[in-house]
Amino acid sequence: MRVRTEAKFDGGLVAWLAVAVWLSAGLTAWAQPVPGTQGDTAALGLRAGEKLSSGKIQEIYRRVLADWSAGETERAPNELIELEAAVVLDADPTTRKVLLKEEQAVIHQIGAADLEVLVPIAVLHHEAYRRLLQRGFHGHALAMIHTRTMARDLAILYHQQSGSEGASLVSSRLLTSLGGLLQQSAQQYPAADMFQQAVELDPKNVAALLGLATIYEKNAQTESAVKQLRRVLEVEPANVEGRLRLALNLRRQDHGAEAAKLLTDLTAVTEPSWATPLAFQELARLDSDEGKTAEAEKVLRQALKRYPNDLRLHVQLAAVLDRRGKPGEATALVEKALTLPAGEEASARFLYNTVRSDAFAAARTFLAENSRSRLPVLAQALGAPPPAAGTGVGR
Amino acid sequence: MRMKKTRLLLTTLTGLFLAGLFLAEAAQGQLAVRILSPEPGQPVFGSTDVRVGVQAGVPIDRVEVFVNGKLAGTSKKPPYHVQVDVGEDNIKREFRAVAYSSTGTTGADAVLTQPVTINDEMNLKLRALFVTVMRDGLRALNLGKDDFQVMDNGAPQEIVTFGRDELPLTAVLLLDTSESMQGKRQEAVRRGAKAFLDGMKSSDEAMLALFSDRLLRFTPFSSDKSVLETAIAGTQAAGGTAVNDFLYMSLKLLDARQGQRVVVLFSDGSDVHSVLPASDVLWKSRAGQALIYWIQLGGKHESFTSSWRDFKTNDKEYQDLERTIKESGGRILTIDRLEDLEDAFRNVLKELREQYAVGYYPNNSKGDGKWHKLDIRVKGGGRARTREGYADY
Repeated sequence: MRVRTEAKFDGGLVAWLAVAVWLSAGLTAWAQPVPGTQGDTAALGLRAGEKLSSGKIQEIYRRVLADWSAGETERAPNELIELEAAVVLDADPTTRKVLLKEEQAVIHQIGAADLEVLVPIAVLHHEAYRRLLQRGFHGHALAMIHTRTMARDLAILYHQQSGSEGASLVSSRLLTSLGGLLQQSAQQYPAADMFQQAVELDPKNVAALLGLATIYEKNAQTESAVKQLRRVLEVEPANVEGRLRLALNLRRQDHGAEAAKLLTDLTAVTEPSWATPLAFQELARLDSDEGKTAEAEKVLRQALKRYPNDLRLHVQLAAVLDRRGKPGEATALVEKALTLPAGEEASARFLYNTVRSDAFAAARTFLAENSRSRLPVLAQALGAPPPAAGTGVGR
Repeated sequence: MRMKKTRLLLTTLTGLFLAGLFLAEAAQGQLAVRILSPEPGQPVFGSTDVRVGVQAGVPIDRVEVFVNGKLAGTSKKPPYHVQVDVGEDNIKREFRAVAYSSTGTTGADAVLTQPVTINDEMNLKLRALFVTVMRDGLRALNLGKDDFQVMDNGAPQEIVTFGRDELPLTAVLLLDTSESMQGKRQEAVRRGAKAFLDGMKSSDEAMLALFSDRLLRFTPFSSDKSVLETAIAGTQAAGGTAVNDFLYMSLKLLDARQGQRVVVLFSDGSDVHSVLPASDVLWKSRAGQALIYWIQLGGKHESFTSSWRDFKTNDKEYQDLERTIKESGGRILTIDRLEDLEDAFRNVLKELREQYAVGYYPNNSKGDGKWHKLDIRVKGGGRARTREGYADY
């Protein structure tokens, strides 16, 4: 696995800056109430840097797990954040070891009864990490890393200890979802690492394969991207996004004919997808670049019939018409483009270059279902009452 | 081509014939008056230098110039000429010159100019250049038509229209409203654009286009500043950046306008999401006459990659965009502080006002799409900046 960083950043400088920001943030966070938990359902009343004994940490962790197992899906992740942010201090990395030791002790105690408890606990840490990212948890970077690492390690532990195919699928999806969260927060190295591990656990995990391919693509590692995308299409030959990305990467490798074939096939796809207008645009672009402006014009006229409100198709066709000596019609198209509804939603070209949350929705639904089905096991292991029927877990 | 040569020959023969008559009249003791420019049938817009030739055996008191029956000016010393702004209407105009001698005799001549017709090959090829002249670090503002020489592919050209701060301005303010512009940046842009709009004259028009990866909001071309300012105030920054697509659109919209045309682009970053490459914008700019100014926040381009383009392609995109702006005769204004944004917009407007509008009909046009390199020379020295050339379509 090798992912090149974006050249606009100097890796060493960024690392030093991160350390500096981390340290200063850690110092300012010292002895402050744990942020992000006031006014919501967490009610532990802990303060950052508060001295908690081993027994107290274990007691609180058990209580959080019990709440989770009881279906307290809003409160339990916030309590976990509060506990971890109180114990783990950015200014003192050794505090993480303290928390890890106590959490591991609890997990060993309850996991000995039934290995399946690892799934809801991993999902709980995953949910806590998701919320931390969402809140932008300044001053608690180490706690954020800790809870993410816990989610990952529990998933891998579950896979290793179980050895079943089902465990591989669950663990793979948890790693995929974590990868997606990392990718959304522009942490491409760790995201790629998560996706890679997810693919190793389940080679047919399309979301992870696509996630990995996207990172390769974004870092201009076209050959690796093509390799992953071909794997996507082996699993799901009709995957629209996979076909589009493969076509564009093949084009970058000067495999224009194969790219054109993929794009042409995509333009015939009838079910709605954000990727289909892009297939038209890129097919026309391919024609234009090869000097085949008549073909480009034909493709774009066909596209406009299907997507009459697509501003970008108007602009692209205008540019082609200009080149073909039809400036009057080109001007009319641009003027017509201004009469289209204003862009309320992100354009398809933006979506192609961003991490869409819907890309990981299936993995998260799968995780939520698997976690929910194991909550009674967790409750039993903790000696707590099982959750009421119909309570949800995770997102 | 054959038709052009025939027309040129006829013009020459007609000129010799008229010159003969001109001398004959003077020899007979009458005032021989000829309007030397504009020429009959020539389309005339904006600032026009009416030059009058007078031959007489007696002293000349004055020469009066009338446009469509109205006195436009008087010249009392040779060479007799009157600078007159005839406006931008595409109409026929009658220029009449009347010379008065000290003895009371008079002589007159009249010339009828024609509007531009869509089939008139030559009229369509009027090139308007907007020239900034720097001398000793300052803009030179007191130059006349005769101080300029236009070289088109090395061939000297006759300047037929000339002026400064007379043509109406048509501007597209193309403002990056992507997510990175939220908050203080967007507020600073609003103030900057307002500064530009406040400096506009009543005859000027502007269109506001607020873009990200999509067109968030735009106004039609308007002189109504309140319409324009309302549009900026009510827009929420969101999304990525697609400079090429919306710059291309702006240039297309300016094609249909007259006078001094300009795109003022404000963006803090490079293009990521456009479907058009910058080379398409360059092509469009070369075929048009609009100037492009780029007010750039942050300065130096940093290499980056995205799902759309790799490092090398993004670098080329940036270079092509820079080239487009430079070739158009505009420039990039780099600012580091948001506080400088208002001045940057004001400076662009000031620079536009202080440009000379120099018009000529290329005598070497073939309509073959080939590149014509332009060179402006200024008598007495100085650095003249205008578009670097154009594609001859």
